[in-house]
Amino acid sequence: MAKRPPITNRVRELREAHGNMSQAALAKAIGVTRQTVIAIEQGKYSPSLESAFRISRVFGVGLEDAFGWAPSEDG
Amino acid sequence: MSFREQSAWAMGLILTVAGLLYFGKVFAASQALGATAPPIIAFVVIYVVLVVIASIIVMSPLAAFQAEAANAPADERERIILNQARNWAGYVLAFGVATGLFHFWVQRDGNMLFHIAFASLMASQISEYAFQIFLYRRGHA
Repeated sequence: MAKRPPITNRVRELREAHGNMSQAALAKAIGVTRQTVIAIEQGKYSPSLESAFRISRVFGVGLEDAFGWAPSEDG
Repeated sequence: MSFREQSAWAMGLILTVAGLLYFGKVFAASQALGATAPPIIAFVVIYVVLVVIASIIVMSPLAAFQAEAANAPADERERIILNQARNWAGYVLAFGVATGLFHFWVQRDGNMLFHIAFASLMASQISEYAFQIFLYRRGHA
């Protein structure tokens, strides 16, 4: 089983708070596929810094309001 | 399922079927000869033409129904997945070719070296699509 990246996110929460924005609409806004948005929301994939900033800007929040760090046992 | 994953399924299946047909012919020719058949260019040409025609027949409707996805470049996650799959497939090719060379070193059968190298190339390409599917399903590379 692959180790999940230690980055958490509130993308689904923010999307729902923004008029229930669809995953496809968010994907189009940040220039990725809907499957990538799904992978980000499920915590399977950590977006690049550029995409993280794009997501934050779409929702009008700071980077740390959308993404967080979940320290693992080894830090 | 994304367009790229559908493409990987389609191309993986086409290459598998074409590869089985090709090696079925080579195996039959070898049995008829009572020894490893030499490289038969006609079979290789038929294999390539079959793959090209099948790809056009299968991929055209796929792309037509999802024109936007088909025209879009791979995004950042897909690029990582494609690179990882290509990397792993390279190991498959290297292992196959090394095995073929070892076999040639022991048996001195140049015909078999060709078949093993060609099979490795096919296996590498098929495995690349299989790795892509695996990574798309997993969500990340």
